[in-house]
Amino acid sequence: MIQPIALEIIVVCLGILLLMVEAFSSKTSKTPLAYAAILGLSVVFVLTFFVQPSAAGLQESGFYVLDPLALFFKRFALVATIVTLVLALDYLPIVQRLVPGERPGAGSGEFFILPVFTCAGLMWMASAADFIVIFCALELVTISLYVQVAYLRRSIASLEAGTKFLILGALSTGFFVYGITWIFGTVGQTGLEAIRQALPGVPEAAQPAMIFGVALVLVAIGFKIAAAPFQFWVPDVYQGAPTPVTAYLAVASKAAGFVILIRVLEPFFTVIAFQEKLFLALVLLAGLTLLFGNLAAIPQTNFKRLMGYSSVAHAGYLLVGLAAIGDAFAGRAVVFYLCGYLLMTFLAFLILVPVSKASGGDDIANFNGLARRSPALALAMLIAAASLAGVPFTVGFFGKFFIFEAAMKQELFGLVLLGVVTVACGFYYYFKVIRAMYWQPASEDAAPVQVSVLSRLAIAICAVLILVLGFYPQLLIQILP
Amino acid sequence: MPTLAHYLIVSGLLFSIGLAGVLLRRNILIIFMGLELMLNAANLSLVAFSRFNLLSDGMPNYNGQVLVFFIITVAAAEVAVGLAIIVALFRAKQTTHVEDLTTLKF
Repeated sequence: MIQPIALEIIVVCLGILLLMVEAFSSKTSKTPLAYAAILGLSVVFVLTFFVQPSAAGLQESGFYVLDPLALFFKRFALVATIVTLVLALDYLPIVQRLVPGERPGAGSGEFFILPVFTCAGLMWMASAADFIVIFCALELVTISLYVQVAYLRRSIASLEAGTKFLILGALSTGFFVYGITWIFGTVGQTGLEAIRQALPGVPEAAQPAMIFGVALVLVAIGFKIAAAPFQFWVPDVYQGAPTPVTAYLAVASKAAGFVILIRVLEPFFTVIAFQEKLFLALVLLAGLTLLFGNLAAIPQTNFKRLMGYSSVAHAGYLLVGLAAIGDAFAGRAVVFYLCGYLLMTFLAFLILVPVSKASGGDDIANFNGLARRSPALALAMLIAAASLAGVPFTVGFFGKFFIFEAAMKQELFGLVLLGVVTVACGFYYYFKVIRAMYWQPASEDAAPVQVSVLSRLAIAICAVLILVLGFYPQLLIQILP
Repeated sequence: MPTLAHYLIVSGLLFSIGLAGVLLRRNILIIFMGLELMLNAANLSLVAFSRFNLLSDGMPNYNGQVLVFFIITVAAAEVAVGLAIIVALFRAKQTTHVEDLTTLKF
């Protein structure tokens, strides 16, 4: 039996080891590093099945918790990182072209190693039960993502995206820390469990300060999960960042934000005085996010930007699920949605990378005529788009269905109505991609699309899982915490 | 003798100045200084809370002070990465003004 915290330590050590190898080896090809990272993370993924989640959850120190939810999100982070590395392998030629270096291959090794550190941060975040740990894990993830977003130093778009991400990320850190300060000031604790116990004893006079703190923390997490009105960095950063990093941001960083949101809000939901205000804040956030994400996505022509707005929209559906958290099934519905979201987002990006490599751009127009150039890829993209839109018999449909069902039980009829209307919007803008693939002629000079073996495998797995879970969602629900 | 309220007012002022700097100034370096001010405002009030809200045994609550150390360390890491990105941007575009960041648009 291994100690639970060993998982994170192994991942960090793996990252440091790879960095050392990168620094001291004279090889110009950096792909072995990526394979080593994928292999190492897969081993850690297997190891997670030998860790016993403790029923009591809390370790003695109160800093680290290993309940089934934490373990589930550790696996989620590992899978997301592995798929990101597969994407990064495909993306390597572009990295090599856009990163200056004295020798060929110089400067591209870290592109495979930084996600390993981000993964360690995500895993820590899943287990964090104290504001100090949450803060450190969050920063490990964010700071390593700053570097990854701005990685292509010859691409002005990437640098601009990095700068915007840096400034807004640091701003949200400022809000987060100041919020923690006020919570600490009124309750006198930083541990979430200790806060839960101390909350009922908070005097009436101190409650405004408390609410101020919680509101600041909520704003900061709103930045991380891309909820409107804190979403304005998303489209620019998603468009400018290297495509694998965009996918990573969309999936892992968002999932981590939701884990923190669930964990942080839990103690505050137990106090009646806060319950109503928090509930109202969540409903407002969810409604705004749904509206903004879906409406702003309609006129987009760049695929990565479209995915950015689509990720805002998905955050909206997830927030609806959180607002309905009173329902017993809502928590599992949110986790189910996140899993489906991982599958369909990665599937879309796995196809985008080879397509944009062959046709030289990330616009929807670059998908023109894909159905004739490579029917298999077009079919996979069709599945991804259908699932993102929420067509029945895909995992995306059941994700939305479970969330709306939970919301109906909690009598959030307005939000459900808004959700259904915005799903209809979603059909329109995802359909644009399908129309480009099946009804538009390919441009004359379109090169054949080549896909590496690993990517093919990942595409096949994602596409099949989307369909299988679309028919038998209970397969996944059974193993959810 | 300064009380807790004095420290909180100063820290609130620091936070507001930092936030105003981020929102109103147009030079990325100055924006970055504003961000650091916001973090230090949090540090100041954390230490003040920890020093004035003594535990039942008369000792300060050290959780807050430990958090301050982490914030200082993380802020340093953030500055290292942030300045590197800004330098890279300056090399590519010869500017540190946010108005010039217009490549990514609708």
